[in-house]
Amino acid sequence: MRVQAPLPVCCSFCKPLFTLFFSLFVWKSGTVLLLPGLACRLGLYVRKLNALVIGDVHIGYEEALNRRGVLLPRFHFQDVLSSLEGVFRFLEPELVQHNGLFSEIIINGDLKHEFGSISGQEWREVLKLIDLLSSRCRRVVIVKGNHDVVLGHIAGKRNIVLVDDYSADGIFICHGHQIPGKVAFRKAKVVIIGNEHPAVSVREGPRVETFKCFLRGRFRGKDMIVMPSFNPVTIGTDVLKAQFISPFLKSGVRNFEVFVAADKVYAFGRVRDLE
Amino acid sequence: MIDFKTVPNRTEELLNILHPLVREWFFSRFKEFSLPQLFGVMEIHSRNNILVSAPTGATKTLTGFLSILNELVGASEAGVLENRVYAVYISPLKALNEDIRVNLVEPLKAIEGIAGKSLGIRVAVRTGDTSPSEKSAMLRKPPHILITTPESLAIVLSSYRFVDLLKAVEWCVVDEVHALAENKRGVHLSVSLERLQLLSPGMARVGLSATIAPLDKIAHFLVGNDSESPRSCKICDVQFVKKMDLKVICPVPDLIDVEHGKMQDALYTLIDDLVQSHRTTVIFTNTRSATERVINHLKERFPKNYASDVQTIGAHHGSLSKEHRHSIEQLLREGRLRVVVSSTSLELGIDIGFIDLVILLGSPKTVARALQRIGRSGHRLTSVSKGRIIVLDRDDMVECAVLLKSAIERRIDRIHIPSNCLDVLAQQIYGIAISSKIHVNELYALVRRSFCYGTLSLSDFNEVLDYLSGKYISLEDRNIYAKIWHDPETGFIGRRGRMSRVIYMTNIGTIPDETFVTVKIAGTEQVVGKIDEGFLERLTKGDVFILGGDKYEFLYAKGMVACVNASVYRSPTIPSWFSEMLPLSFDLAVEVGRFRRLMEEKFLHNRSKAEILSFINEYLYVDSNTADSIYNYFREQFLFSEIPTDKKILVEGFSDKGRVYAVVHSLYGRRVNDCLSRAVAFVIARSQHRDVELGLTDNGFYVVYGKNVNVAAALKLLQSEKLELVMKNAVERAEILKRRFRHCASRALMILRNYMGREKRVGRQQVSSMILINAVRRISPDFCILKEARREVLEDVMDMPTAINLLKAVEDKTVKVKSVQTGMPSPFALKIVLESQTDVLKIEDKIEFLKRMHERILEKIKDK
Repeated sequence: MRVQAPLPVCCSFCKPLFTLFFSLFVWKSGTVLLLPGLACRLGLYVRKLNALVIGDVHIGYEEALNRRGVLLPRFHFQDVLSSLEGVFRFLEPELVQHNGLFSEIIINGDLKHEFGSISGQEWREVLKLIDLLSSRCRRVVIVKGNHDVVLGHIAGKRNIVLVDDYSADGIFICHGHQIPGKVAFRKAKVVIIGNEHPAVSVREGPRVETFKCFLRGRFRGKDMIVMPSFNPVTIGTDVLKAQFISPFLKSGVRNFEVFVAADKVYAFGRVRDLE
Repeated sequence: MIDFKTVPNRTEELLNILHPLVREWFFSRFKEFSLPQLFGVMEIHSRNNILVSAPTGATKTLTGFLSILNELVGASEAGVLENRVYAVYISPLKALNEDIRVNLVEPLKAIEGIAGKSLGIRVAVRTGDTSPSEKSAMLRKPPHILITTPESLAIVLSSYRFVDLLKAVEWCVVDEVHALAENKRGVHLSVSLERLQLLSPGMARVGLSATIAPLDKIAHFLVGNDSESPRSCKICDVQFVKKMDLKVICPVPDLIDVEHGKMQDALYTLIDDLVQSHRTTVIFTNTRSATERVINHLKERFPKNYASDVQTIGAHHGSLSKEHRHSIEQLLREGRLRVVVSSTSLELGIDIGFIDLVILLGSPKTVARALQRIGRSGHRLTSVSKGRIIVLDRDDMVECAVLLKSAIERRIDRIHIPSNCLDVLAQQIYGIAISSKIHVNELYALVRRSFCYGTLSLSDFNEVLDYLSGKYISLEDRNIYAKIWHDPETGFIGRRGRMSRVIYMTNIGTIPDETFVTVKIAGTEQVVGKIDEGFLERLTKGDVFILGGDKYEFLYAKGMVACVNASVYRSPTIPSWFSEMLPLSFDLAVEVGRFRRLMEEKFLHNRSKAEILSFINEYLYVDSNTADSIYNYFREQFLFSEIPTDKKILVEGFSDKGRVYAVVHSLYGRRVNDCLSRAVAFVIARSQHRDVELGLTDNGFYVVYGKNVNVAAALKLLQSEKLELVMKNAVERAEILKRRFRHCASRALMILRNYMGREKRVGRQQVSSMILINAVRRISPDFCILKEARREVLEDVMDMPTAINLLKAVEDKTVKVKSVQTGMPSPFALKIVLESQTDVLKIEDKIEFLKRMHERILEKIKDK
C-alpha cells in the first residue's frame, strides 16, 4: 500500500483485504489509546472487560440493493469475514491471558439491514457470523438496533436473546437511536453508540476523500464514543456536512474529536478544526 | 453508394406521380413545390433511401410525407389499402409527435373533403404516454402511419403481436436526425432500424435533418451497412435556402473597463430594445439557470413590459413541467407572447408559430447550433431568419465573430457520432432476446449492419453476451444476475425469466437519470435548484457557491438535499459547476485559431492600426466598434506576451500566492482540452509524485504544481501513440468516470429504475457511484460496462482521437509548442485562469494522502 501503485487504485476497498493493515481503538481505564499499525480498523476493544464491540454490520445490504434493482455482485459478507479475521489476528496478544477468547463480543445494533423480512441468504449469513463470533468468545451479545425488528427469530436459533443495551463497570453500550432512561445509563461514565455511521471528508484543493471515523465527545457528563459502521460497502455520513438524526448528537458534534479509521487510526483533532 | 443529389426533379415529374386528389389538395394549400420537395418527393416515391437536410420551416415534414400520403390515398381509392403499417415516423420528442399527427390528420381530412368520402387512412401516435386501451386498439385496427419515439419503437419491436403489423413497412421516416445522431439515443435507434429492416426488407429510410455536417456520415448513420459497405442513399442538401440576417452585438462599446452592474444595465436595456422593436422574440441561453435569470431581470427592470397582468414573457426548458411547456407553446402559436427564453428545448422543430427575431446570449459554441437556433425565426422558407448574438466578454466576442463568418460562408462544424457503445448494445440484445430466439452469428451480423457498430469486434460482442448471460457470477447466484438465456453449444440466445419482458418495457432508454441533489434554503421548503452529486461531495460547511446566478452558503446535507443560506456577502469559495456547459466545436475552435494566426502575422509585420482594422472588418463581418475591440484585445496580448494560434500552442508560466501556474493556450475546444490537460497533468503528477490541480476551458487549460516543471516539455513528452494508455490511467480515478459509469450501468440494465413493480427514484436509497464502480472493478477491471464508461469518457465527453492527431502534429512540428514566462496572466489567459472547470489528477494513494493530511492537522492542532 505504501508502494507507489503502477496503476491508480481507487480506494482501499478495491484492494484484496488481506493486504490491509488494520488499526483498533483499545479502551483502557477511561482513556482511549491508539495502538498504531495493527488490527481492526472498525472495531473497539474494551480491555478491562476483554470485550470486542462492533456495530452496524448491515448484513443483507447488497441483497436489499438487488431487490431495488441495483444488480451488483455481492462482496459484502466475504469482506466482513476478512475484516473480522484482521481484528482477531491483531488482538491475539491481548487474548493470551484469556485463553485466546474474548469474554464477550458485543454486536452493537443493525446486524441486519432490512427491517421487515428475512431472506434465505440473510438467515445463512447471520447464523454463520454468530457461529464464527461464538467460537471466539464466551458469550455473544446482540444489542438491538433500529433495523433489528425481526432479528430475534434468527438469534433465537442460537439461544441468543437480543438486549436493548449492555452495561458493565461504568461502560454503557447501546445502538444510539434512542436515549435510554435506565439507571445504569444515568450512572455510566462512558457510553458507546453506533447508528450514525460517522465518516469524515478530508479536503485539499479540489481533492476530497472520505474516510470512516470514530468520534469521541461528551454527553450529559459522560465520555461518548460513536463507532463507524462495520459495513464495508458504504463509507457513512460525513460529519462535516450532515445533520445527525441520533438524539445523542442533536446538539452537534463540532467539539467531538475525530479519529480516522484507515490502515490504522489517525487522530484528526476536533470536528471544528476540520471545518 | 452515398451521393448528393444535385439536380432537383421538375414540377411536371412530381405532378405525374401525384394522385388527382392529392394534387388538388396540395395546390389548394400551396402555390408550388418547395425546393426540398422537388428534391425529395420523387426519391421517396421510388422507395430510395434519402437524407434531406434543410432549415426549420423548409417544409421538410411534408416532403417526407407527401409521397406516403399519395400512396395511401391511391391505395384507398383503388380499394387495396391493407391493414398494416405502411410508414413508421420517428422523432425524438413526444411533443413533436403530436404536432406531426395534427399535420397529417388535417391534410387527410381536407383530401377526404375533396373526395367527398372517408378514405379510411389511419394515423396513430405511440409513445410512453399511450394508454393500454389505445395500444390494443392499434392492434385491432393498425395505423397506416405509426408515429413514435426511438424508445417506443424498440418496445414495439419486442412485442409479439405488434411485430406482425411491421412486416411490410415501406418507409421509415426519421425526423430531427441531427438531434439523434450525436448521442446514444441515436446509437440505440440505429440498431432498432436494423431490426425493423429485418422484418421489412423492402423498407426505405427517409432522414430529415436541420443544418448539420458532415452529411455523408449522417446519411451513413441513417441507412447503415449492407454486407460491410454503406447502403445506398441520396443526400439533398438544401441547408442554405433561407436568407439570413445575422449580427454580433456588444451591449457596451468597451468590454474591458466596465463594471458588472453597468454591463447588466446595458445588456438588459439592449435586450428590451430588441424585443420591443420586434413582434415575437426567442432568446436562447446556454444553461437552464441562465434562462430563469434573464426572465427575472427583464421583469424586475421593465415591469411595464414584462410584469403586467397580461403574460408577455415565458420560460421554456427541459426542467419545466410538460403542462407549462405546452401552454407556452400554445401562447406562442397564438402570437400572444412577446418573448420566450429557452435553453435547448426550442431548438427542435416544435411548432411555435411566427418568430421574427432570435437572440443568442453568449456563444452557441457550434455553427450548426447557431443556425438551428436562428432558423427558428422567419419560419417560412421565403422569409429571412434574423439572429443577433450578444457577447459579454472579449473571448466570446472573437469566438462569435468567427462563428458568424463560418455561418455566412457556410462552413458547418462536424459532429461526433458515438460508436461501439457496449451499454446500448447490451440493452438492444436483451430486447432482441426477449422477442425471439436468435443465433449469435446472425445477431452479430445484424448489429454490425448499424453504422454505429460497423466496426464492433467479436470479442467485445462476446463480452456483452457473457455479461447478459451472467457468466461473471458463480453459478448458484446467477439467476439473480443473468438477463438472457444463452446456450454456448447451439449458439442460440433467448428470453430468461418471466419478468424479463416487464423489466425491458419499464427500463428502456438511453437518457441517464442524473443523480441530482436538491438545494433548499435551510429551514424552509424553498427549492433554489439542483446540483450534481459529485459537486456536493466537494462542498464543506461554509463554502459559498453560485447557482442560477445567485450566491449560496452551504450549511449541511440531509440525504439528497443540500441546505443552504441565501444571504451571503462573501465571494464564492468553490468554482461553479460546469456540467451544463456546451463545448466549443473543434472545427470552429480551429477557425478562431486561424484568425489568431492571421492577426499575429499582421502584428509581426508591423501593419498599421488602420490596415489591421480594415482586415478585421473584411474578414469577420463585424461593425467598426467590434473591430476596434478585437484589435485592442489582440494588441494587448501581442505586447504582453505572444499570440497563440492554431499552429502554435503557447505555454505561459507565472506564480500567484506561492502556486506555480502554467497556462496552456490550446484553442481546440473543451473536449480536446479535457483530454490534453489530464494527460499533461498525469505526466507531471507522475514525475513529482503529487496530485496536480488542473482547470480547463474551450480556449486552453492550466495546471498548478509544486515544483518547477517544464510543462512544454511534458506536452512534447506525450507521444501520440501512448496517449490512449496515459489517458486510461489518468481518468481511472476521475469523478467523471464514476458518474458516467452509473449512466452506462443503467443503460446496460445493471441498475434498474423500475424493478418488481417498484420505481427506484434517483435520490431515494441512493447508492454512491463510488460503490457501484468499486464493485464492478472487483469483477474485472475490463468488465464490459466499465470499458464502455471509459470509452464514453474518452471519446464522447472528451475527444481523444483529435487530441492524438494534435500530438502527431506537434511531433511532426506542424504545430509548435512555445514557452514564455509572463509573471502574471496575459489577457488571453485571464478567462482560462478565472473561469475554468477545475479538477484534480489524483496520483497519490488514498492512504498516503490521508497521512499527509494527518501531519498537517497535527501541525494545526499543535498551535492551539
